[in-house]
Amino acid sequence: MKLNRRTFIKSAAASSAVATAASIFPGISFADWQKQEGGSGTISWQKAPCRFCGTGCGVLVGVSGNRAVAVKGDPKCSVNKGLCCVKGYHSVQALYGKDRLLKAKVRKGSKMVEVPISEALDVIAAKMKETIKKHGKDSVAMYGSGQWTIPDGYVASKLFKGCIGTNNVEANARLCMASAVTGFMTSFGSDEPMGCYEDIEHADVFVTWGNNMAEMHPVLFSRMLASRKRKKDVTIIDFATRTTRTSQAADKSILFKPNTDLAVANAICYEIIHNKWVNWDFVNKHTTFHKGKTNIGYGTEDHFKFTDAPENISFDEYKKFLDDYTPEKVERISGVSAKDIKYMASLYGDPKKKCTSFWCMGMNQHVRGTWINNLVYNIHLLTGKISTPGNSPFSLTGQPSACGTVREVGTLTHKLPYGVVMNAKAREKAAKIWDVPVANIDPKPTYHTVEMFRALDRGDIRFMWIQVTNPMITMPNLNRYRNGALKDDRFVVVSDVYPTPTTDVADVILPAAMWIEQEGMFGNSERRTQHFGEIVPPPGEAMSDTWQIIEVARRLGFKKQFPWSKKDYIGKIWEEYRRFHDNAKHNMAPYTVLLERSGVQWPFVNGKETRWRFNSEHDPACKPGSGFDFYGKPDGKAWIWARPYEPAAESPDNEYNFWLNTGRVIEHWHTGSMTRRVPILHAAMPESYVEINPEDAMDLGVVDGEKVKIISRRGSVTMKASINGRGVPPRGQVFVPFFDEDYKINEVTLDAFCPISKQPDYKKCAVRLEKA
Amino acid sequence: MKRADKIIGKVVLGFAAVCLSGAIGVLSVKAAPGIPQGFDSEGEKIFNRYNETPLAAMTGTDGQRNLNEYYELRQYPGSPPRIPHQVAPSFSEDAQNCLACHESGGYDAELNAYAPVTPHPENVLCYQCHVPKRTDKLFVGSDWESINPPRLGQSQLAGSPPPIPHSLQLREDCIACHTGPAAVAEIRVEHASRGNCRQCHVPMVANEPPVKAFKRN
Repeated sequence: MKLNRRTFIKSAAASSAVATAASIFPGISFADWQKQEGGSGTISWQKAPCRFCGTGCGVLVGVSGNRAVAVKGDPKCSVNKGLCCVKGYHSVQALYGKDRLLKAKVRKGSKMVEVPISEALDVIAAKMKETIKKHGKDSVAMYGSGQWTIPDGYVASKLFKGCIGTNNVEANARLCMASAVTGFMTSFGSDEPMGCYEDIEHADVFVTWGNNMAEMHPVLFSRMLASRKRKKDVTIIDFATRTTRTSQAADKSILFKPNTDLAVANAICYEIIHNKWVNWDFVNKHTTFHKGKTNIGYGTEDHFKFTDAPENISFDEYKKFLDDYTPEKVERISGVSAKDIKYMASLYGDPKKKCTSFWCMGMNQHVRGTWINNLVYNIHLLTGKISTPGNSPFSLTGQPSACGTVREVGTLTHKLPYGVVMNAKAREKAAKIWDVPVANIDPKPTYHTVEMFRALDRGDIRFMWIQVTNPMITMPNLNRYRNGALKDDRFVVVSDVYPTPTTDVADVILPAAMWIEQEGMFGNSERRTQHFGEIVPPPGEAMSDTWQIIEVARRLGFKKQFPWSKKDYIGKIWEEYRRFHDNAKHNMAPYTVLLERSGVQWPFVNGKETRWRFNSEHDPACKPGSGFDFYGKPDGKAWIWARPYEPAAESPDNEYNFWLNTGRVIEHWHTGSMTRRVPILHAAMPESYVEINPEDAMDLGVVDGEKVKIISRRGSVTMKASINGRGVPPRGQVFVPFFDEDYKINEVTLDAFCPISKQPDYKKCAVRLEKA
Repeated sequence: MKRADKIIGKVVLGFAAVCLSGAIGVLSVKAAPGIPQGFDSEGEKIFNRYNETPLAAMTGTDGQRNLNEYYELRQYPGSPPRIPHQVAPSFSEDAQNCLACHESGGYDAELNAYAPVTPHPENVLCYQCHVPKRTDKLFVGSDWESINPPRLGQSQLAGSPPPIPHSLQLREDCIACHTGPAAVAEIRVEHASRGNCRQCHVPMVANEPPVKAFKRN
């Protein structure tokens, strides 16, 4: 640069301004701040989806030099329109914990020894070969995550299902989204929500089903509150088992006894039919009626198997089935007054009101998770309040790419990126795109998550590679599965960014690139694919999970299937993956479009995003002029299901007389391995606690902050009581956030699951309490 | 100079407190039909706030808050500040509890301080972004580094109005933070009785990234 007179004066003025500012405000040192060189004028802003929940807020990451230094909400992102939550605003601080894993470690004897990452990758490949030789291909497994980027999950699936030939690719989204998937598949034959977040601005009625949105999806909840403030006559009903911030913000809080949401949903349908609120035009044209097996069990025993057997029924049979669910009968089961049931039904039934239902873990982590998903869809189908702006049964997600990576790429043991492994056509398609012999792809699904960890305990699985997840905090009935992982002759590889209770059981630890230290894509709750670039370099030898898998695949001899260069592998992988979804029902946006936008919704057809699926006005995959076309089912009709109320796997009795419910808090995300390293979040919520109803606490003789021992048939935890704190459970129930590795509440929980989705129920088991 | 502020502040503030109690309703954006809301970085907010803020409240200061304290509540310039005072253990009551003080400001006898005014009272789920501090101990140490706060007084010419050194996003309402008894001493304007802030002060950094450097071909 030529330094002419003008630029010289400018730079002289700039440096003298620093001196001036310092002399005007002497004594201001900002002592707490560790400061970077360079002022705020020099930072650049780059787009990314937030690292944490499934909302998929767009953030702008402020970068100075090679460090992330600030966050703003991305005003161009339609999800959050420039507003984040406290986790999002401080998300970049999660990159800078002092104990970041910078080097690979390999177990040598009883010690973990630092090695170059290439050596660790050699060890992994050798161990995989050896295990397959000794115990067969189904003895090696990959356990991934809804926090995997889409390329992470895609290469894992390609390596295991396509190249090695085992279906053992499973992901932690089984623990959070499986019931949502089976709910969609059984009701509509096609996964993921028909609506989008824009429904929030159109709806007149919101019902949050066991969903504390104020803390778990705060950005969407804010949109709801803003809509209520702007419009008149917006009603928010919080339908839950405990009183939370969401209840306080709602117009009405209705509490039900655990698992009885099944009965209440049926009672609402009873009311809709008996008050003649059924939208017959819609029901006749677009729905059919069905029933399945009942008394379907809870899966607490090893090798549990269940297959549903759907039967067609008539509307009259369905109506007769509902006779067991009059509001008065259901009041006795659920503890919800008949008046409140009728009130909820009247809101759903009012043809003038647009209704949106939101749910997340309350309905999914449920021993009848598939059923309750079906039953809420029933309400929307009977009233025809679906797939139109503001009329939306909306299943929210908890992880940033539970949809993008697990549900769309199909990183579950029965899935392929397109279709299921049992389907010959789907196998052929995969083999063709993956360039592998079709015989490689095993038509038999293997283990779901709980059974996979049982298989590790039993010894059916000998090698497990865990990426981007922390199962040694999150597995229910944790003691069994940790002991299993620690058994001799089990080899566990863990890729992560910080030490966790899961890296504690590892034989090899790989340092992973985190979030914006790598290029990738997430997919959020509303079918939005969101790209982010490598905004800052990964520290030490940290490597993206995708590249780790590629390195191992090449060492296993699959160079042909993993040919990409480090320079452009993400774009190449995306374009290969996109071939799986090459149809109007699921087309994904090209890489170049993803680069430019703050997320793109699929189906992306002829350059246009689809906001409301199954609605022929909005969705090009529908038969033109059909009004609605539920094309996931062969006849284009959605299924209304007769599903009964059945109790939880373990209910309180005389010995274990309390319900235990677990969940999250706004400050921490999942197991806290990231958010607890963010100073402001840890300071606001330093440790977990047990919420107890004030009257139960009085009976127990504990006051706020005193220690209580929570005991189940499986384990116990001693922690501080919280009375009238963040949330208040009704009598006979306690609630514990699971983020804190010092109080492993999952040693107490039960590994019962929904027999259809195989998703465990973290919300219900029996415990007793002792003053500690 | 600081001393003088304090004296004037004390005289004016008793009056300001009376004026402020319940003086301001929700700041509504009233756009003409067909005109989109929120254009020009929600420029209307400035005028609404200007109309509704009593003059005394704009010109006094109690001088209690300084820039150091302001930044100590933040992790980086522009991050949501943490809550520096006690809140109910649940901190889950009606959002109106926060806005009772922070929507319009006013004197709080318990804290012996004037409440800072939020520039975005339309966002009512306060705890979505603002959290209290319950411990000083970290879970593990952090290598976090922040950028410097924006420099003050970056006038281009001697005596010319300084540009706005921060992003306007969520901080569009100048008057909320730069005037009034709770304003941070160093950034309180001395001519608060003027209402059209952006007549003279313009953003220094464009608020819509990414910005390409202009280059003449």
